[in-house]
Amino acid sequence: MSFNVECYRQCMNLEHKNYNQAVPHVMHIDLNSCFATVEQQARPLLRGRPVAVVNRRSEHTMIVTASYEAKARGVGLGMTLKEAKKLCPDLVGVESDPSKYRYVYKQLMRIMSDYSSHVRMKSIDEGVIDFSEACLRGASEQDLVGIGYEIKSRLRNEIGCWMRCNVGIGANRFLAKTAAGLHKPDGLDVINSKNLLTTFEKLELEDLTGIARRNRHRLEAVGIKTPVDFLQADLRTLSQVVFKGVPGVQWHHRLRGWEVDKLDFPIRTAGRQYVLEAYAVPENLVLERLHHLCESVGRKVRGQGLVARGVGVHARSYKQGYWHNKRMMAAPFFSDAAIYSLAKELFKTAPYPLKEIGIHCYGLSAPNDRQLVLFGDELAKISSATRAVDEINQRYGDRTVHSAHTIKTDMVKQKVPFGSTRYF
Amino acid sequence: MNDELFLNERVQMIASFGSGLNPCLPHKFRRANGREIEITEIGLRHPSVQGKRTIHIFDVTSGEADYRLEFDSERLTWHLTQEGDHVF
Repeated sequence: MSFNVECYRQCMNLEHKNYNQAVPHVMHIDLNSCFATVEQQARPLLRGRPVAVVNRRSEHTMIVTASYEAKARGVGLGMTLKEAKKLCPDLVGVESDPSKYRYVYKQLMRIMSDYSSHVRMKSIDEGVIDFSEACLRGASEQDLVGIGYEIKSRLRNEIGCWMRCNVGIGANRFLAKTAAGLHKPDGLDVINSKNLLTTFEKLELEDLTGIARRNRHRLEAVGIKTPVDFLQADLRTLSQVVFKGVPGVQWHHRLRGWEVDKLDFPIRTAGRQYVLEAYAVPENLVLERLHHLCESVGRKVRGQGLVARGVGVHARSYKQGYWHNKRMMAAPFFSDAAIYSLAKELFKTAPYPLKEIGIHCYGLSAPNDRQLVLFGDELAKISSATRAVDEINQRYGDRTVHSAHTIKTDMVKQKVPFGSTRYF
Repeated sequence: MNDELFLNERVQMIASFGSGLNPCLPHKFRRANGREIEITEIGLRHPSVQGKRTIHIFDVTSGEADYRLEFDSERLTWHLTQEGDHVF
Protein backbone atom coordinates (compact mmCIF):
# COMPACT_ATOMS: atom_id res chain seq x y z
CA MET A 1 0.00 0.00 0.00
CA SER A 2 1.63 3.25 -1.04
CA PHE A 3 0.80 6.59 0.44
CA ASN A 4 -0.08 9.72 -1.47
CA VAL A 5 -1.87 12.93 -0.64
CA GLU A 6 -5.27 11.49 -1.54
CA CYS A 7 -4.73 8.49 0.73
CA TYR A 8 -3.64 10.82 3.50
CA ARG A 9 -6.83 12.87 3.15
CA GLN A 10 -8.99 9.77 3.23
CA CYS A 11 -7.22 8.57 6.34
CA MET A 12 -7.76 11.92 8.01
CA ASN A 13 -11.47 11.64 7.35
CA LEU A 14 -11.84 8.00 8.23
CA GLU A 15 -9.83 6.71 11.13
CA HIS A 16 -8.88 3.05 10.93
CA LYS A 17 -9.41 2.14 14.54
CA ASN A 18 -9.62 -1.55 13.87
CA TYR A 19 -6.66 -3.85 13.91
CA ASN A 20 -5.90 -5.94 10.87
CA GLN A 21 -7.88 -9.13 11.55
CA ALA A 22 -6.35 -11.08 8.68
CA VAL A 23 -4.33 -14.23 9.34
CA PRO A 24 -0.70 -13.13 9.78
CA HIS A 25 1.08 -13.85 6.51
CA VAL A 26 4.41 -12.11 6.83
CA MET A 27 7.37 -14.02 8.24
CA HIS A 28 10.52 -12.24 9.40
CA ILE A 29 13.67 -14.32 9.85
CA ASP A 30 16.63 -12.90 11.73
CA LEU A 31 19.90 -14.73 12.40
CA ASN A 32 21.02 -14.34 16.00
CA SER A 33 24.25 -12.35 16.49
CA CYS A 34 24.91 -13.41 12.91
CA PHE A 35 28.66 -12.96 12.46
CA ALA A 36 29.58 -14.30 15.90
CA THR A 37 27.27 -17.29 15.47
CA VAL A 38 28.78 -18.07 12.06
CA GLU A 39 32.27 -17.91 13.59
CA GLN A 40 31.16 -20.25 16.37
CA GLN A 41 29.66 -22.57 13.77
CA ALA A 42 32.88 -22.58 11.73
CA ARG A 43 35.17 -22.97 14.73
CA PRO A 44 33.61 -25.47 17.13
CA LEU A 45 36.05 -24.74 19.96
CA LEU A 46 34.65 -21.19 20.19
CA ARG A 47 31.13 -22.47 20.96
CA GLY A 48 29.87 -21.52 24.36
CA ARG A 49 32.71 -19.01 24.76
CA PRO A 50 32.32 -15.20 24.62
CA VAL A 51 33.30 -14.14 21.10
CA ALA A 52 33.56 -10.67 19.59
CA VAL A 53 33.90 -10.11 15.85
CA VAL A 54 36.08 -7.14 14.95
CA ASN A 55 37.24 -5.67 11.67
CA ARG A 56 40.94 -5.43 12.51
CA ARG A 57 43.41 -7.37 14.58
CA SER A 58 43.87 -4.59 17.07
CA GLU A 59 42.75 -3.91 20.65
CA HIS A 60 41.45 -0.45 19.70
CA THR A 61 39.05 -1.67 17.07
CA MET A 62 35.29 -1.55 17.60
CA ILE A 63 33.26 -4.68 18.13
CA VAL A 64 30.99 -5.41 15.17
CA THR A 65 29.10 -8.34 16.70
CA ALA A 66 29.26 -10.10 20.03
CA SER A 67 28.06 -13.61 20.72
CA TYR A 68 25.22 -14.16 23.20
CA GLU A 69 27.74 -15.39 25.77
CA ALA A 70 29.63 -12.09 25.44
CA LYS A 71 26.44 -10.01 25.47
CA ALA A 72 25.37 -11.73 28.68
CA ARG A 73 28.56 -10.41 30.30
CA GLY A 74 27.95 -6.82 29.26
CA VAL A 75 29.87 -6.72 26.00
CA GLY A 76 28.08 -4.48 23.51
CA LEU A 77 28.45 -3.39 19.93
CA GLY A 78 30.62 -0.32 19.37
CA MET A 79 32.83 -1.03 22.39
CA THR A 80 36.53 -1.34 21.72
CA LEU A 81 38.03 -4.77 22.24
CA LYS A 82 40.17 -3.35 25.03
CA GLU A 83 37.12 -2.02 26.92
CA ALA A 84 35.26 -5.27 26.39
CA LYS A 85 38.15 -7.32 27.77
CA LYS A 86 37.95 -5.38 31.03
CA LEU A 87 34.36 -6.62 31.41
CA CYS A 88 35.06 -10.08 30.07
CA PRO A 89 38.75 -11.08 30.31
CA ASP A 90 38.31 -14.38 28.45
CA LEU A 91 36.66 -12.68 25.46
CA VAL A 92 37.95 -14.06 22.16
CA GLY A 93 38.42 -11.44 19.44
CA VAL A 94 37.96 -12.84 15.94
CA GLU A 95 38.64 -10.93 12.74
CA SER A 96 35.62 -10.73 10.45
CA ASP A 97 35.50 -12.95 7.38
CA PRO A 98 32.92 -11.53 4.94
CA SER A 99 33.05 -14.45 2.48
CA LYS A 100 31.78 -16.79 5.23
CA TYR A 101 28.90 -14.46 6.07
CA ARG A 102 27.99 -14.06 2.40
CA TYR A 103 27.83 -17.85 2.08
CA VAL A 104 25.49 -18.14 5.06
CA TYR A 105 23.38 -15.28 3.67
CA LYS A 106 23.04 -17.11 0.34
CA GLN A 107 22.13 -20.36 2.09
CA LEU A 108 19.49 -18.58 4.18
CA MET A 109 18.08 -16.96 1.04
CA ARG A 110 18.02 -20.34 -0.73
CA ILE A 111 16.12 -21.95 2.15
CA MET A 112 13.64 -19.07 2.35
CA SER A 113 13.11 -19.10 -1.43
CA ASP A 114 11.97 -22.72 -1.21
CA TYR A 115 8.79 -21.52 0.51
CA SER A 116 7.86 -18.51 -1.60
CA SER A 117 9.10 -16.43 -4.49
CA HIS A 118 8.24 -13.33 -2.47
CA VAL A 119 11.42 -13.20 -0.41
CA ARG A 120 13.08 -9.90 0.36
CA MET A 121 16.40 -9.82 2.19
CA LYS A 122 16.55 -6.73 4.40
CA SER A 123 20.24 -7.05 5.19
CA ILE A 124 22.94 -9.71 5.40
CA ASP A 125 21.30 -11.37 8.42
CA GLU A 126 17.57 -10.88 8.01
CA GLY A 127 14.86 -11.38 5.45
CA VAL A 128 11.11 -11.38 4.99
CA ILE A 129 8.83 -13.91 3.32
CA ASP A 130 5.50 -12.48 2.27
CA PHE A 131 3.04 -15.36 2.05
CA SER A 132 0.11 -13.08 1.32
CA GLU A 133 1.05 -13.09 -2.36
CA ALA A 134 2.00 -16.72 -2.61
CA CYS A 135 0.01 -19.90 -3.14
CA LEU A 136 -0.02 -20.21 0.65
CA ARG A 137 -2.37 -17.25 0.86
CA GLY A 138 -5.05 -19.41 2.42
CA ALA A 139 -2.67 -20.98 4.92
CA SER A 140 -3.54 -20.83 8.59
CA GLU A 141 -1.40 -19.39 11.37
CA GLN A 142 -0.47 -22.94 12.38
CA ASP A 143 0.78 -23.68 8.86
CA LEU A 144 3.10 -20.70 9.03
CA VAL A 145 4.33 -21.67 12.48
CA GLY A 146 5.13 -25.10 11.03
CA ILE A 147 7.09 -23.49 8.20
CA GLY A 148 8.94 -21.32 10.74
CA TYR A 149 10.06 -24.41 12.70
CA GLU A 150 11.00 -26.16 9.47
CA ILE A 151 13.21 -23.22 8.41
CA LYS A 152 14.92 -23.30 11.82
CA SER A 153 15.53 -27.00 11.47
CA ARG A 154 16.83 -26.69 7.88
CA LEU A 155 19.19 -23.93 8.95
CA ARG A 156 20.72 -26.31 11.50
CA ASN A 157 20.82 -29.28 9.12
CA GLU A 158 22.01 -27.51 6.00
CA ILE A 159 24.42 -24.91 7.39
CA GLY A 160 25.42 -26.16 10.80
CA CYS A 161 24.16 -27.33 14.17
CA TRP A 162 25.08 -24.06 15.93
CA MET A 163 23.00 -21.87 13.62
CA ARG A 164 19.95 -20.36 15.25
CA CYS A 165 17.42 -17.82 14.06
CA ASN A 166 14.47 -15.88 15.36
CA VAL A 167 11.26 -16.18 13.45
CA GLY A 168 8.49 -13.63 13.74
CA ILE A 169 5.08 -13.88 12.12
CA GLY A 170 2.77 -10.92 11.83
CA ALA A 171 0.15 -9.27 9.68
CA ASN A 172 2.68 -6.78 8.33
CA ARG A 173 6.47 -6.41 8.12
CA PHE A 174 6.64 -4.27 11.26
CA LEU A 175 4.76 -6.71 13.49
CA ALA A 176 6.68 -9.68 12.04
CA LYS A 177 9.98 -7.98 12.90
CA THR A 178 8.70 -7.06 16.36
CA ALA A 179 7.68 -10.70 16.89
CA ALA A 180 11.13 -11.89 15.80
CA GLY A 181 12.71 -9.83 18.56
CA LEU A 182 10.54 -11.12 21.42
CA HIS A 183 12.45 -14.25 22.44
CA LYS A 184 16.10 -14.12 21.46
CA PRO A 185 17.86 -16.36 20.71
CA ASP A 186 16.05 -18.99 18.71
CA GLY A 187 12.50 -17.80 19.30
CA LEU A 188 9.37 -18.14 17.22
CA ASP A 189 6.50 -15.79 17.95
CA VAL A 190 3.31 -14.71 16.29
CA ILE A 191 1.66 -11.34 16.77
CA ASN A 192 -1.96 -11.28 15.67
CA SER A 193 -4.92 -9.04 16.38
CA LYS A 194 -5.75 -11.07 19.52
CA ASN A 195 -2.39 -10.82 21.27
CA LEU A 196 -1.26 -7.44 19.89
CA LEU A 197 -2.20 -5.52 23.02
CA THR A 198 -0.74 -8.04 25.47
CA THR A 199 2.48 -8.21 23.44
CA PHE A 200 2.83 -4.43 23.41
CA GLU A 201 2.29 -4.33 27.19
CA LYS A 202 5.63 -6.14 27.63
CA LEU A 203 7.62 -3.75 25.43
CA GLU A 204 9.25 -0.35 25.80
CA LEU A 205 8.89 2.36 23.16
CA GLU A 206 12.46 1.90 21.95
CA ASP A 207 11.86 -1.83 21.44
CA LEU A 208 9.77 -0.87 18.41
CA THR A 209 11.69 -0.72 15.14
CA GLY A 210 11.88 2.88 13.99
CA ILE A 211 11.54 4.37 17.46
CA ALA A 212 14.87 5.53 18.80
CA ARG A 213 15.74 8.31 21.24
CA ARG A 214 14.47 11.26 19.19
CA ASN A 215 11.16 9.68 18.23
CA ARG A 216 10.71 8.54 21.83
CA HIS A 217 11.13 12.15 22.99
CA ARG A 218 8.56 13.29 20.42
CA LEU A 219 6.07 10.70 21.64
CA GLU A 220 6.72 11.35 25.33
CA ALA A 221 6.16 15.07 24.75
CA VAL A 222 2.48 14.32 24.06
CA GLY A 223 2.12 11.80 26.89
CA ILE A 224 2.73 8.63 24.87
CA LYS A 225 5.03 6.73 27.19
CA THR A 226 4.48 3.06 26.25
CA PRO A 227 3.77 1.07 23.08
CA VAL A 228 0.19 0.59 24.33
CA ASP A 229 -0.26 4.38 24.56
CA PHE A 230 1.22 4.60 21.06
CA LEU A 231 -1.21 1.98 19.76
CA GLN A 232 -4.16 3.74 21.33
CA ALA A 233 -3.15 7.21 20.19
CA ASP A 234 -5.60 8.69 17.72
CA LEU A 235 -4.73 9.39 14.12
CA ARG A 236 -4.91 13.16 14.47
CA THR A 237 -2.43 13.22 17.36
CA LEU A 238 0.07 11.11 15.44
CA SER A 239 -0.27 12.82 12.08
CA GLN A 240 -0.73 16.42 13.16
CA VAL A 241 1.12 16.70 16.46
CA VAL A 242 3.78 14.01 16.76
CA PHE A 243 4.99 13.23 13.23
CA LYS A 244 3.36 16.17 11.42
CA GLY A 245 2.27 14.49 8.22
CA VAL A 246 2.12 11.18 6.41
CA PRO A 247 4.57 9.39 8.75
CA GLY A 248 1.99 9.76 11.52
CA VAL A 249 -0.68 8.08 9.37
CA GLN A 250 1.77 5.33 8.50
CA TRP A 251 2.58 4.71 12.17
CA HIS A 252 -1.13 4.56 12.96
CA HIS A 253 -1.60 1.87 10.31
CA ARG A 254 1.68 0.06 10.96
CA LEU A 255 0.90 -0.50 14.64
CA ARG A 256 -2.50 -2.00 13.76
CA GLY A 257 -1.03 -4.52 11.34
CA TRP A 258 -1.73 -2.77 8.05
CA GLU A 259 1.11 -3.00 5.55
CA VAL A 260 2.85 0.30 4.84
CA ASP A 261 6.45 -0.85 4.52
CA LYS A 262 6.18 -2.98 1.41
CA LEU A 263 8.32 -0.64 -0.61
CA ASP A 264 11.33 -1.20 -2.82
CA PHE A 265 13.65 1.71 -3.20
CA PRO A 266 15.97 2.06 -6.19
CA ILE A 267 19.68 2.29 -5.44
CA ARG A 268 20.41 5.98 -4.99
CA THR A 269 23.98 5.93 -3.72
CA ALA A 270 26.94 3.57 -3.58
CA GLY A 271 29.82 4.24 -1.24
CA ARG A 272 32.60 2.96 0.97
CA GLN A 273 34.57 4.26 3.89
CA TYR A 274 37.84 3.39 5.54
CA VAL A 275 39.30 4.07 8.96
CA LEU A 276 42.95 4.99 8.44
CA GLU A 277 45.34 2.51 9.96
CA ALA A 278 47.64 5.01 11.73
CA TYR A 279 47.65 8.49 13.22
CA ALA A 280 48.42 11.35 10.81
CA VAL A 281 48.76 9.34 7.62
CA PRO A 282 50.45 11.70 5.06
CA GLU A 283 48.27 13.31 2.40
CA ASN A 284 49.74 11.32 -0.51
CA LEU A 285 49.00 8.01 1.25
CA VAL A 286 45.48 9.16 2.14
CA LEU A 287 44.90 9.87 -1.56
CA GLU A 288 46.12 6.37 -2.46
CA ARG A 289 43.56 4.90 -0.07
CA LEU A 290 40.90 7.25 -1.42
CA HIS A 291 41.75 6.04 -4.93
CA HIS A 292 41.30 2.43 -3.76
CA LEU A 293 37.87 3.31 -2.36
CA CYS A 294 36.97 5.03 -5.66
CA GLU A 295 37.87 1.86 -7.59
CA SER A 296 35.74 -0.19 -5.24
CA VAL A 297 32.76 2.19 -5.52
CA GLY A 298 33.17 2.36 -9.31
CA ARG A 299 32.89 -1.43 -9.48
CA LYS A 300 29.73 -1.34 -7.34
CA VAL A 301 28.11 1.29 -9.59
CA ARG A 302 29.03 -0.47 -12.83
CA GLY A 303 28.11 -3.86 -11.37
CA GLN A 304 24.52 -2.61 -11.13
CA GLY A 305 24.64 -1.34 -14.72
CA LEU A 306 24.38 2.27 -13.55
CA VAL A 307 26.20 5.55 -14.06
CA ALA A 308 26.67 8.34 -11.50
CA ARG A 309 26.15 12.07 -11.68
CA GLY A 310 27.75 13.17 -8.43
CA VAL A 311 30.51 12.34 -5.98
CA GLY A 312 30.46 13.04 -2.26
CA VAL A 313 33.43 12.66 0.06
CA HIS A 314 33.56 12.75 3.82
CA ALA A 315 36.26 12.51 6.43
CA ARG A 316 36.65 12.54 10.18
CA SER A 317 39.46 14.79 11.28
CA TYR A 318 41.39 14.59 14.56
CA LYS A 319 41.05 18.35 15.05
CA GLN A 320 37.87 19.46 13.30
CA GLY A 321 35.58 16.45 13.53
CA TYR A 322 33.27 15.56 10.66
CA TRP A 323 33.90 17.15 7.25
CA HIS A 324 32.17 16.55 3.92
CA ASN A 325 32.09 17.90 0.40
CA LYS A 326 30.18 16.93 -2.73
CA ARG A 327 29.64 17.91 -6.33
CA MET A 328 27.05 17.10 -8.99
CA MET A 329 28.24 17.04 -12.59
CA ALA A 330 26.31 17.92 -15.74
CA ALA A 331 27.21 14.68 -17.53
CA PRO A 332 27.10 11.18 -16.04
CA PHE A 333 30.32 9.23 -15.50
CA PHE A 334 31.25 5.66 -14.59
CA SER A 335 35.01 5.10 -14.79
CA ASP A 336 37.27 4.79 -11.74
CA ALA A 337 39.48 7.54 -13.13
CA ALA A 338 36.56 9.99 -13.39
CA ILE A 339 35.36 9.19 -9.86
CA TYR A 340 38.85 9.55 -8.39
CA SER A 341 39.60 12.75 -10.28
CA LEU A 342 36.47 14.37 -8.82
CA ALA A 343 37.05 12.94 -5.33
CA LYS A 344 40.66 14.15 -5.33
CA GLU A 345 39.51 17.64 -6.30
CA LEU A 346 36.94 17.64 -3.48
CA PHE A 347 39.52 16.35 -0.99
CA LYS A 348 41.78 19.39 -1.47
CA THR A 349 40.00 21.17 1.36
CA ALA A 350 40.01 18.18 3.75
CA PRO A 351 41.11 19.08 7.32
CA TYR A 352 44.22 16.89 7.80
CA PRO A 353 45.20 14.91 9.88
CA LEU A 354 42.36 12.46 9.24
CA LYS A 355 41.21 9.35 11.01
CA GLU A 356 38.52 8.18 8.58
CA ILE A 357 37.77 8.79 4.90
CA GLY A 358 34.79 7.90 2.76
CA ILE A 359 33.37 8.41 -0.69
CA HIS A 360 30.00 7.84 -2.29
CA CYS A 361 28.56 8.26 -5.77
CA TYR A 362 25.05 9.64 -6.02
CA GLY A 363 22.56 10.55 -8.72
CA LEU A 364 22.73 6.97 -9.95
CA SER A 365 20.75 6.16 -13.06
CA ALA A 366 20.70 3.80 -16.01
CA PRO A 367 23.00 4.98 -18.80
CA ASN A 368 21.22 6.86 -21.54
CA ASP A 369 23.18 5.92 -24.65
CA ARG A 370 20.70 7.58 -26.96
CA GLN A 371 21.85 11.03 -25.88
CA LEU A 372 24.40 12.24 -28.43
CA VAL A 373 27.46 13.85 -26.94
CA LEU A 374 30.09 16.03 -28.52
CA PHE A 375 32.99 13.83 -27.38
CA GLY A 376 31.28 10.52 -28.05
CA ASP A 377 34.37 8.80 -29.47
CA GLU A 378 36.42 9.56 -26.39
CA LEU A 379 33.64 8.31 -24.09
CA ALA A 380 33.27 5.12 -26.13
CA LYS A 381 37.00 4.42 -25.70
CA ILE A 382 36.79 4.97 -21.92
CA SER A 383 33.69 2.77 -21.77
CA SER A 384 35.38 -0.07 -23.69
CA ALA A 385 38.55 0.11 -21.59
CA THR A 386 36.58 0.14 -18.33
CA ARG A 387 34.43 -2.78 -19.44
CA ALA A 388 37.52 -4.76 -20.45
CA VAL A 389 39.17 -4.19 -17.05
CA ASP A 390 35.96 -5.21 -15.25
CA GLU A 391 35.76 -8.41 -17.33
CA ILE A 392 39.39 -9.30 -16.55
CA ASN A 393 38.80 -8.71 -12.84
CA GLN A 394 35.65 -10.82 -12.90
CA ARG A 395 37.44 -13.67 -14.64
CA TYR A 396 40.76 -13.69 -12.84
CA GLY A 397 39.85 -12.23 -9.47
CA ASP A 398 39.18 -8.91 -7.90
CA ARG A 399 41.91 -6.29 -8.42
CA THR A 400 43.85 -8.30 -10.99
CA VAL A 401 44.05 -5.07 -12.99
CA HIS A 402 43.92 -1.77 -11.15
CA SER A 403 45.61 1.59 -11.08
CA ALA A 404 49.34 1.59 -10.29
CA HIS A 405 48.54 4.30 -7.75
CA THR A 406 46.76 1.74 -5.55
CA ILE A 407 49.41 -0.97 -5.70
CA LYS A 408 50.24 -0.60 -1.99
CA THR A 409 46.72 -0.32 -0.63
CA ASP A 410 45.82 -3.93 0.08
CA MET A 411 44.96 -3.01 3.66
CA VAL A 412 41.79 -1.29 2.35
CA LYS A 413 40.10 -4.65 1.85
CA GLN A 414 36.35 -5.06 2.03
CA LYS A 415 35.14 -5.72 5.55
CA VAL A 416 31.80 -6.70 7.00
CA PRO A 417 29.20 -5.85 4.38
CA PHE A 418 26.52 -3.97 6.29
CA GLY A 419 23.59 -2.33 4.58
CA SER A 420 22.31 -3.24 1.17
CA THR A 421 22.86 -6.77 -0.03
CA ARG A 422 22.24 -5.82 -3.63
CA TYR A 423 25.95 -5.80 -4.45
CA PHE A 424 26.39 -9.51 -3.59
CA MET B 1 43.12 -11.16 19.78
CA ASN B 2 42.79 -14.89 19.55
CA ASP B 3 45.78 -17.25 19.31
CA GLU B 4 45.51 -17.77 15.56
CA LEU B 5 48.38 -18.80 13.34
CA PHE B 6 48.19 -17.95 9.65
CA LEU B 7 49.91 -20.52 7.44
CA ASN B 8 50.14 -21.62 3.85
CA GLU B 9 51.19 -25.23 4.36
CA ARG B 10 50.56 -27.92 1.78
CA VAL B 11 49.08 -30.97 3.53
CA GLN B 12 48.23 -34.55 2.55
CA MET B 13 44.56 -35.34 3.01
CA ILE B 14 42.31 -38.34 3.29
CA ALA B 15 38.87 -37.23 2.17
CA SER B 16 35.77 -38.97 0.89
CA PHE B 17 33.59 -37.78 -1.96
CA GLY B 18 29.97 -38.80 -1.92
CA SER B 19 26.57 -37.22 -2.39
CA GLY B 20 24.18 -35.06 -0.42
CA LEU B 21 24.60 -31.56 0.94
CA ASN B 22 28.26 -32.06 1.81
CA PRO B 23 29.68 -34.28 -0.91
CA CYS B 24 33.31 -33.76 0.12
CA LEU B 25 34.31 -34.75 3.65
CA PRO B 26 37.93 -34.37 4.80
CA HIS B 27 38.79 -36.97 7.48
CA LYS B 28 42.47 -36.80 8.31
CA PHE B 29 45.50 -34.81 7.19
CA ARG B 30 49.26 -35.05 7.52
CA ARG B 31 51.23 -31.88 8.07
CA ALA B 32 54.67 -31.08 6.64
CA ASN B 33 56.25 -32.10 9.97
CA GLY B 34 54.66 -35.57 9.69
CA ARG B 35 52.05 -34.97 12.39
CA GLU B 36 48.70 -36.53 11.60
CA ILE B 37 45.51 -34.79 12.63
CA GLU B 38 42.14 -36.45 12.70
CA ILE B 39 39.16 -34.23 11.93
CA THR B 40 36.34 -34.75 14.41
CA GLU B 41 33.91 -32.13 13.08
CA ILE B 42 33.50 -29.95 10.02
CA GLY B 43 32.25 -26.59 11.26
CA LEU B 44 31.49 -24.88 7.98
CA ARG B 45 32.35 -25.36 4.35
CA HIS B 46 32.09 -22.39 2.04
CA PRO B 47 33.35 -21.69 -1.45
CA SER B 48 35.52 -18.71 -2.23
CA VAL B 49 35.83 -17.64 -5.83
CA GLN B 50 39.23 -16.32 -6.83
CA GLY B 51 38.75 -15.24 -10.40
CA LYS B 52 37.73 -18.35 -12.32
CA ARG B 53 39.14 -20.67 -9.63
CA THR B 54 36.96 -21.94 -6.84
CA ILE B 55 38.61 -22.65 -3.50
CA HIS B 56 36.53 -24.65 -1.02
CA ILE B 57 37.27 -23.54 2.50
CA PHE B 58 36.72 -26.07 5.29
CA ASP B 59 36.72 -24.86 8.87
CA VAL B 60 37.28 -28.00 10.91
CA THR B 61 38.27 -29.10 14.38
CA SER B 62 40.28 -31.95 15.82
CA GLY B 63 38.86 -31.36 19.29
CA GLU B 64 42.20 -29.88 20.39
CA ALA B 65 42.43 -27.04 17.87
CA ASP B 66 40.44 -25.52 15.03
CA TYR B 67 41.92 -25.53 11.53
CA ARG B 68 41.14 -23.93 8.22
CA LEU B 69 41.81 -26.10 5.19
CA GLU B 70 41.54 -24.92 1.61
CA PHE B 71 40.87 -27.25 -1.30
CA ASP B 72 41.75 -25.86 -4.71
CA SER B 73 39.26 -27.49 -7.06
CA GLU B 74 41.39 -26.68 -10.11
CA ARG B 75 44.78 -27.87 -8.85
CA LEU B 76 43.32 -30.54 -6.53
CA THR B 77 45.55 -29.48 -3.67
CA TRP B 78 44.89 -29.05 0.04
CA HIS B 79 46.49 -26.29 2.11
CA LEU B 80 46.34 -25.62 5.82
CA THR B 81 45.92 -21.86 6.11
CA GLN B 82 44.92 -21.26 9.72
CA GLU B 83 45.27 -22.88 13.11
CA GLY B 84 43.76 -21.57 16.33
CA ASP B 85 41.48 -21.91 19.37
CA HIS B 86 43.80 -24.38 21.06
CA VAL B 87 42.54 -26.22 24.12
CA PHE B 88 45.25 -25.84 26.74
